[in-house]
Amino acid sequence: MSIRQLHLNGFLKGAGEYHAGWRVPGNPPDAGVNFAFLAEQVRRLEAATFDSVFLPDLLGVPDDPPEVTERVAWVNDTLEPTTVLAALTTLTSRIGLVATASTSYNQPYTVARVFASLDHLSKGRAGWNVVTSLNDAEARNFGLDAHLPHDQRYRRAEEFFDVVAGLWDSFDDDAVLADRTTGRFFDPDKLHWLHHHGAYFDVAGPLNIRRPPQGRPVIAQAGSSGAGRALAARIADVVFTRALPLPDAQAYYASVKQQAARLGRDPDRILVLPELATVVAPTRAEAEDRFAAVRDLLDPRVALADVQYWAGVELSGLPLDAPLPLPPAGSNRSAGAQAEIYAQAARDGLTIGDLVRIVSDGDGAIIGTPADVADHIEEHFTQGAADGFNVSFPWQPETLVDFTQLVVPELRRRGLFRTEYTGRTLREHLGLDRPASRWASASRTGSW
Amino acid sequence: MPRPDHLQFGALVHGSGGHIAGWRHPRATPDGELDLDAHVRLARTLEDAGFAALFVADVVAIWGHQLDSLHRTTRADYLEPITLLAALSQQTSRIGLVATATTSYNEPYNLARKFASLDHISGGRAGWNVVTSVVPLEAANFGRAEHFGHAERYERAAEFVDVVKGLWDSYADDALIRDKEAGLYFRRDGRRAIDHHGKHFDVAGPLNLARPPQGHPVLFQAGASQTGRAFAARVGEVVFTAPLNTDEAVRYRRDLDAAVTGAGRDPGDVRVWPILTPIVADTDAEAGEILAELGSLIHDDVLRRLVQDNFGDEDFSDLDLDEPLPDFGGDTNRSQSRRAGLLAVARAERLTLRQLALRFSARADTAGSAATVADRIAAVWRTGAVDGFNVSFPYLPEQADRFTAEVLPILAERGLFRPAEGATLRERLGLPLPKGPR
Repeated sequence: MSIRQLHLNGFLKGAGEYHAGWRVPGNPPDAGVNFAFLAEQVRRLEAATFDSVFLPDLLGVPDDPPEVTERVAWVNDTLEPTTVLAALTTLTSRIGLVATASTSYNQPYTVARVFASLDHLSKGRAGWNVVTSLNDAEARNFGLDAHLPHDQRYRRAEEFFDVVAGLWDSFDDDAVLADRTTGRFFDPDKLHWLHHHGAYFDVAGPLNIRRPPQGRPVIAQAGSSGAGRALAARIADVVFTRALPLPDAQAYYASVKQQAARLGRDPDRILVLPELATVVAPTRAEAEDRFAAVRDLLDPRVALADVQYWAGVELSGLPLDAPLPLPPAGSNRSAGAQAEIYAQAARDGLTIGDLVRIVSDGDGAIIGTPADVADHIEEHFTQGAADGFNVSFPWQPETLVDFTQLVVPELRRRGLFRTEYTGRTLREHLGLDRPASRWASASRTGSW
Repeated sequence: MPRPDHLQFGALVHGSGGHIAGWRHPRATPDGELDLDAHVRLARTLEDAGFAALFVADVVAIWGHQLDSLHRTTRADYLEPITLLAALSQQTSRIGLVATATTSYNEPYNLARKFASLDHISGGRAGWNVVTSVVPLEAANFGRAEHFGHAERYERAAEFVDVVKGLWDSYADDALIRDKEAGLYFRRDGRRAIDHHGKHFDVAGPLNLARPPQGHPVLFQAGASQTGRAFAARVGEVVFTAPLNTDEAVRYRRDLDAAVTGAGRDPGDVRVWPILTPIVADTDAEAGEILAELGSLIHDDVLRRLVQDNFGDEDFSDLDLDEPLPDFGGDTNRSQSRRAGLLAVARAERLTLRQLALRFSARADTAGSAATVADRIAAVWRTGAVDGFNVSFPYLPEQADRFTAEVLPILAERGLFRPAEGATLRERLGLPLPKGPR
């Protein structure tokens, strides 16, 4: 029996997760399109034996007012993530490579090919973060006036995933012979058509590439609404979630595991990774000083827009000491994130100004010593609130370097985190089984 | 810009080689397509030899719909091209990286981002081979019973390319000021949303990405039908062709130049690269033996389907391979130019199905000693109808190794070839940089 170990995923977002991260002096301001810089960060995370790195994505520039948009970096100027991961395959050898691809504005055949190709090129290190798109600005880049309503988004996502997973099983694991003597490249009896006909997609298959080394690239999912959790419980290997206080995190963790168990899945094979942002220094005072300097770089209009984005309600023109107004009826935002903001505001009696301040203060980032961060991690990890963390970096490279150099050794000292990779594939890092093909046995039960 | 005064080469990259039975050759890598190390090695061989670009073809389905023949080929099992090229971008530093992507079953916003990203990651080496989808099974992977009709395909392609170019031009080259002091990432008046509303696409923009280093990745095109040629004349910067002989190559170039001029472009801004499938051996006789050996490695089922796949809708399964091809007609939505050319040849020469299939699988006129192959290339070059060649090596890695090591030095010696120079693909091809907005 191996001792339960933390799983750490590095969440890389341009110059950093903090909206003013790109303004930090000395760092490259063009980090979103600076591949060499990004690759350097990924190699640092690999040297620190992170399970994986994850790149988020948007398919358009959100509809913020120009005085906000012109003050942020990532949404304006970012490389397409699967192309980045493909380029990283030859520069890394162990770390998992995970990217977002939208189920709203892609076709399943295309996504199945790209992630299967990534899995082959990386020898089993690919992961797909399954998202539904919720920006009207994205919709307008794909022939729609507005994004799909919440329920439809998730129904489409579920069908999209089913098609992709089905396509990955097109070839049996032993289908390819490459036997030049007989001239048979593959065994045609081991190639399967999908013939999917559903509400959103008709896809005949088969996929034009053999089964991925992991059988199925690792599936990540981040929905926190009811529909999002239900989808995660069915399909996700890894669940990314927001940072929550311990009791809320425990409740969320338990609900994901229970829901998965009700579907007949092993709850230990669905990993919950809450977000964790840190600004670490040897002393708390140093950490706070570091953050204060960057906090001064954040324009309050940008922080206000962030609150408005997640709350799904118009805030401009309202006084900062006003309470958060109720969202318009039929609001079609990320339902889970919206519910959390409103719950938090009601529980703590927060005004708009308070919420802006929370964003400006790093939105729950832990600002402190390596021991502070390790204590938080250990508490959530051992108290039934997390299987690991989706570690984001407010600005790079400093907060990333500090995490790998200060926090990771502390976690290792406590016996919580690996000192070297023991597996080759991302599934092996995560302790997940390689899924059998749906065609591997005649009897197919439950959700495959 | 003036046309280059020396030959340029691009390579059509297949893992095990372009010949349908190339993977079976004793000196081929039989499972090369998914072998990244083999791809890297080939890319470096080509780069070191001064190839301008390497090119990965694509179909968005298994490449052939008859499993009796398909399972005897490598054409049901290959990497997605942009993904492969992005990986190769970090293992090469100069060679152009060109991928096919279809306008029929993609969205312009997604492709604009992918090629722009590849261009950024590779330091300005990306190229896009713009195609319309015609291969069976592709439509059914994207919710359609049939492909778009011929005219509609090209209409959609033209609109698709316009949207993609517009998206690439979302930012002026100097719009991304990234001014940390002022906290301003871009200049408001340097960004433009295309707000496109057309027959096939509605795309608001802007693209969420800086303008590509090349302005626009280089556009490759291969349509040879009337519609396809008009499209190539309007958007193609490198045009792939497959002429049956030098007369046809000369005619094609004359017509294309006229069409390019008619489209308001300078014919000097368009490169024409016919396909070249060289087999290089120590002697002409040995090359002939390799050619025959490759032919003998093609299973009868594959030979039959090879002809059938080129004609699309005909069923040849009951035909005797060694009887002359029967008459047949009827319209098809496959690539029209190719069909017409093939039919004319088959009828004029009273070919059997087997002979026609072997004709499709390889060309005898570019099999020979290095000197013979170089002579042949020089003869085509002297017609003035071509700027270079799109080289498809019948089996790999041997034929790429021999072509680069033996044929290119002869051409260089004769002053017909010099290694491509320049950091970006545009520079290597001598193509102009598209002007940016404002």
